[in-house]
Amino acid sequence: MAKLVQSDSQPDMTPMIDMVFQLMIFFLVTIQMERDMFVEDIRLAKSRHGPEIKDKVPGTVVIEVDAKGRIFMGRTLLSTEMLRYLLLGAVNRVGYNIPVQIRGDLRTPHRDIRRVMDVCTEVGLVRLQFVAIQKEVTQR
Amino acid sequence: MRRSRRKPEEETRLDMTPMIDCVFQLLIFFLFTIKFEDVLAHLDVSRPSPDPNAPPPEEKIEEMVTIGVFTDGFTLNERPMTPATLDRMLSRLARYSKTQTILIKCAPDSPHERLIQALDLCSKNGLTNLNVLSM
Repeated sequence: MAKLVQSDSQPDMTPMIDMVFQLMIFFLVTIQMERDMFVEDIRLAKSRHGPEIKDKVPGTVVIEVDAKGRIFMGRTLLSTEMLRYLLLGAVNRVGYNIPVQIRGDLRTPHRDIRRVMDVCTEVGLVRLQFVAIQKEVTQR
Repeated sequence: MRRSRRKPEEETRLDMTPMIDCVFQLLIFFLFTIKFEDVLAHLDVSRPSPDPNAPPPEEKIEEMVTIGVFTDGFTLNERPMTPATLDRMLSRLARYSKTQTILIKCAPDSPHERLIQALDLCSKNGLTNLNVLSM
């Protein structure tokens, strides 16, 4: 009897540690993935009739413009000059035929969107696309 | 001898409890963290060429259908429109030709949502040749 009680009082920690590590790795990986995507505080306008974005063309440039008119690419704040420089780099690498997706906040004044469009056309990129929400699934 | 026979039988029993615990934990975690992504649409536009050698488009512009986008509404060839009337007029235009060039002139102060709304109406009526200009 005495032996049984002793063995019960020592729980096996291995599965718990396994699980905690699994969860930790999962969190680390998913947090990193989410961070890499887009600026969170951009609210896209709705467009029920626009064609759905299915397969992204490789090399697509995504430019984000927030409500204050700040320009981002890959979550990095850019000046107009920096944007021009980066777009020129993209043109030199991939060519003029790459589409440019503009994710503009619905509150952004058109003049700030225009700044981005002007840089794109200056560089020679004329395939512009505005990104909008076709079907909203998440609640804001 | 009897003891040695019993031992392997006992060892082959796997304790499933930790695995089930872990699976349930993961299941609950996924249920709470799952986030459905919105379906996104792309509205394609083209910009007029900045080429200085291009012929002046003044004559052409007058013939084209022009949608004005302002802070407080839309215009179609200078006539003020509500989104509903603009939609009706665009569907009439689309009956003639869906490939005609449509100029969308945007006021600098108008919110981006307005431009998207105008582009959405064009897309709804199948008009694809859209040019965005700024005022």
